[in-house]
Order: sequence, then structure tokens, then C-alpha cells
Amino acid sequence: MTRRLAPLVRFTVAALAALAAVALVACTGGTSPSPSARTPLVVGLGFIPSVQFAPFYLAEQEGYYADVGLDVTFQFKIDPDLVTLVGQGSIDIGSADGTSVIPAVSQGIPIRYVATIYGSFPSIVFAAASSGIAEAADLEGTKLGIPGRFGSSWIMLQALLGSAGLTPDDLEIVEYPDFGQGAAVAQGAVDAATGFANNEPVQLALSGEEVVVLHVDDTIALPGPGLIAGTATLDAKGDAIRAFVAQTLRAMREIEADPERGLEAAIAAVPELAEQREAQLAILEATIDVWSGRVTADHGLGAIDRDGWQASVTFMTDLGLVPNAVTVDALVTDAFLPAD
Amino acid sequence: MIRASAAVPVVLALVVFVAAWKAIVVVGGYPPFILPPPESVAVRFVDAWASGVIGPHAAATLVEIALGFAVGAGLALAVGYLLARSPLAERLLSPYLVAAQATPILALAPLLALWFGPGLTSKVVICALIVFFPVAVATMVGIRSVDARLLELARSLRATRRQIVLTLEIPAALPNILGGMRVGVTLAVVGAIVGEWAGAERGLGVLVNLARGSLFDIPLMFATLVTIALVGVALYVVVVLVEGRLVGVR
Repeated sequence: MTRRLAPLVRFTVAALAALAAVALVACTGGTSPSPSARTPLVVGLGFIPSVQFAPFYLAEQEGYYADVGLDVTFQFKIDPDLVTLVGQGSIDIGSADGTSVIPAVSQGIPIRYVATIYGSFPSIVFAAASSGIAEAADLEGTKLGIPGRFGSSWIMLQALLGSAGLTPDDLEIVEYPDFGQGAAVAQGAVDAATGFANNEPVQLALSGEEVVVLHVDDTIALPGPGLIAGTATLDAKGDAIRAFVAQTLRAMREIEADPERGLEAAIAAVPELAEQREAQLAILEATIDVWSGRVTADHGLGAIDRDGWQASVTFMTDLGLVPNAVTVDALVTDAFLPAD
Repeated sequence: MIRASAAVPVVLALVVFVAAWKAIVVVGGYPPFILPPPESVAVRFVDAWASGVIGPHAAATLVEIALGFAVGAGLALAVGYLLARSPLAERLLSPYLVAAQATPILALAPLLALWFGPGLTSKVVICALIVFFPVAVATMVGIRSVDARLLELARSLRATRRQIVLTLEIPAALPNILGGMRVGVTLAVVGAIVGEWAGAERGLGVLVNLARGSLFDIPLMFATLVTIALVGVALYVVVVLVEGRLVGVR
């Protein structure tokens, strides 16, 4: 009996020692930021550095953030990671899609949308003009390319099809997880595809193809990408967040007036963009167009469309993406927008 | 009595793992959307199975694993035997086999999805590729380890090639072959998930992406990961049981 128990006892002791070691590691996670004359702010931007982040590059390079006492560092993350890290507080403020904020807050992630960047929903359906597709109803029975049945493009597609009384079952969905649906449209592999208003249609048009773009904004004002911050961060660094938002919107207005300036700032941050100046300028100009929307046209860049958010909550709840009820007040706040 | 005492370390290890997980959550103060506590994952696991969320995805992944393993292991047995018995074949094929194994399947998967489409075929190819190498190498080693004196004896008794293969070489090499299959079957699970990440409508890999990227349902993501782990463990146990039947308990 003793001989049989000895190995078991040794195993148990070793396991308890491992448990204690694990607990010790968990206790010692994280380090405090070093003291600085300026408030450090970690800013999360999208997946890869891009010309669409020109306002952030311009504000950083022109010293707008430093002038208001901010020490900004950029991190590039995919949307799901960015939302989670903002909620955790590892990233102070980030650019994330509004359609990600709704399910995230519903699942208890403590974030708030504090400023609109894209006043129009950038996710669209595009097709070559020669396809004969001119409106949502024309998509019935077609082949449509999509990165996957998730994310803002999937939500947008369901809203767009719904406006014509269609569902995804009424067409053939082809998945391009490597985001090659633009090439698929150009090669005729699919009749249409989802994309972004400031990307695939621009690339196709530059190649000489006449493009048709279907927007969801006439159907439902889905909330596009904007600035989000964790609720704890808003409590602890509210003034810094407010200052960051103001300077970012300032840079957006300056780029709106002079897109070349934004392009130069983007090239300074991402030198590889200089190899495609014409294309990148076209993308930036298309991006500027998408900054404008129904509410921002009346109330200025950054303004939040609360009616659109409410309609979006209702729509996404019907899609089953909102397991726990949320209110617009739990999703957005305009307390950090400039007073003017 | 023997089975109960054999299960005690397994159960104890599980208890320690769950306790460590809970300790990390509590001591580290991690919110549920970063690291959900084990009880949340357990509840979500039961809910997701009961409501039919996980079931269809698990079925799709199991089909990919089964077909991929069958194709990969089947080819590997044949190629492994060839490598064992033909020095020329080994010199010709080995560099390419090693290169294929060294290339990360995560990098190959999108290409395979492009060539074979986003349907079942690409997943089976990816699974077969990842299963192939360990089973082929184990087969080669096993066949080569057959006692040369037994082979000589078989030839002296005028056994045909087929008789030598079926009644001597394969049975003698079974321990090695099944050892390779233990590794192969767990890698098949990895292959199926990677294949689904390269493009799929259904599968546990798809559900992981949906839970994390669209639903922000981190407990569901963990519940899916637990399901994937259980699938791997179950398949490994199946191979161990088959091994026990064919070559005895080791």
C-alpha cells in the first residue's frame, strides 16, 4: 500500500508546487508606466499601417498630440483583439468598427464609442458595371465574394440584401479568407463582392474598370469605425482622451482641405506607400469621402448618430448578435467630443 | 480496482489544472473577456452543446479529420514501406518529404484552399499532408526494424512477397506504425482547424473565429477550444485502444 501511494504523493506535491508557482506568476504580471511630463497614450489602429490612418500620422508628426500633453504610441491590431485590449485597458484608445462595439458591450466588455471617424458605413458591395448589377435586388442568383460569414461586411450584406427582400441563401456566397475578393471581381470569378468604399472599388477604377458600388446607408445607418476607449480609461484619463479626440479631428479637417498633406504624413510613417502615390492618394480621397455622413454633415466630423446606433442595435439583435440587451447610452458617449 | 487507481492520476491532474486556471483568474484579476473562469466555460460548454451551437460544427470537423487521416495514413503506409525497402526511393523522396514537413501548414493552407476550393477537399488535403510525415516515418522505421533473420527464414520457407508483407513485416512493424498514428491522429485535428481558418462555412475552427471575432463570446471560444481538445484526446484514445487490441497493452 505504501509503495503504491508514494508515487501518488510525489505527484500531488509536485502539482501543488506548480500551482503555487502559477499563482506567483499571476501576482507579478504587469509593470507600471514610467513617469513622464506628458500623459502616455497607447493608440490602437487597424490591422496594418495604411494611408487611411493619415490623420493620426499627421497629428503625431505635426506635434498636435504633444502640444496638448500627450505621448502617443501606435499599435496595429485586428479589430477583435483591439476591442478586447481597449476593454482591458492595455490600449487606451483605438479605432474600431461600430458593429463590433455592439456585441462586445453586450458581452460585458467595458468600452464606449467616443467619436465617429467614418460618418458613412465603409463596408459596401461592389461589382463591375458590365455585370448589370445596379441595385441590391440585382444580387439575387449571383455569385458574391466575401472574406467570411462574420464581421462588418457580413452584417452589411445581410442589411443590404434585406432591403431588397433577399437573404444570403438567395445568392451563391464564395469565401475569400485571404481578402482576395477584389481580384475575384476583376477576373470575373464572382459577379460582385463585399469590400470597403475606400479600397477595392478604388483599385478597380484605377485599373480602368467602371465600378458600381452599393451602399447600405440608405437602408440602415450602421455605425462605422470610430474611436473607442475603455470605461476605466475614460475615468482615469478623460482629459487626455478628450484632447486626443480633438487633435485627431483637427488633423482630419486639415486633410479634408488638403489631401496631399495627409498623403505625405502617411508616406512619412509608411515609406512603402510612396511606391504607389497615385493609388494611395485615390484611396485617401475616397477615405475622406467616407468620413462624411448624414450626421457629420450637420454636426461636424466626429459627431455620433444616436438614431443610427439605435436602429443598428435593433437590427443586430434580430440577427442574434446581441445576447444581452444594450442601450445606446451604454455604447456611445459624446462627452469627449470638442464643445464646438 | 486496477482501472480506478489508473484513473486517479488523470482526475487529479484535471483537478490541479482547473484549480490553477481558477487561481490565475482570481489572483490575476482577469476579466471574463480576457480569461473567463473555468465555471463560466463549463456552463457555456453545456449550453452550447444543448442548444445545438457546437454540434454541427463538431460534426463537420470530425468528417474532415476522418477523411484526412484515412487518406494521409493510407498513403503514408505505402510510401513508408517504399522508403524502408528501396534505398533509391529514400534518396529521391526524403528531401522533399522533409521540406514539406518543415513548411508551416499555416502558410500552405491558404494556397491549398485556393487550388482545391473552400469545400471539404482542401480540408482533407491539409489534414492528409499533416498526418503523412509522422506515419510515413514510423512505418519506415518499423519495417526496417523487422529482424533480418525472420525475413531470411520466411524466404527459406518460400513465402511469397505478399505473405512476407502481410504476415511478417506489417505485424512486426505495427508497434511503430501505431505509434506514428498516435501522433498523426492528433495532428489531423490541427490540420482540420487550420483548413477551416483558410476558408469554411462550418467547423470548430470557424466557430472559434465567430466566437472571438463576431460575437465577442469568449466563454464560447474557450468552450470550442475544450471541444477541440476533447476530440483530440478521444481520437488518441481510440488509436491506443486499437493498438492494445492488435499488439497488446504497452
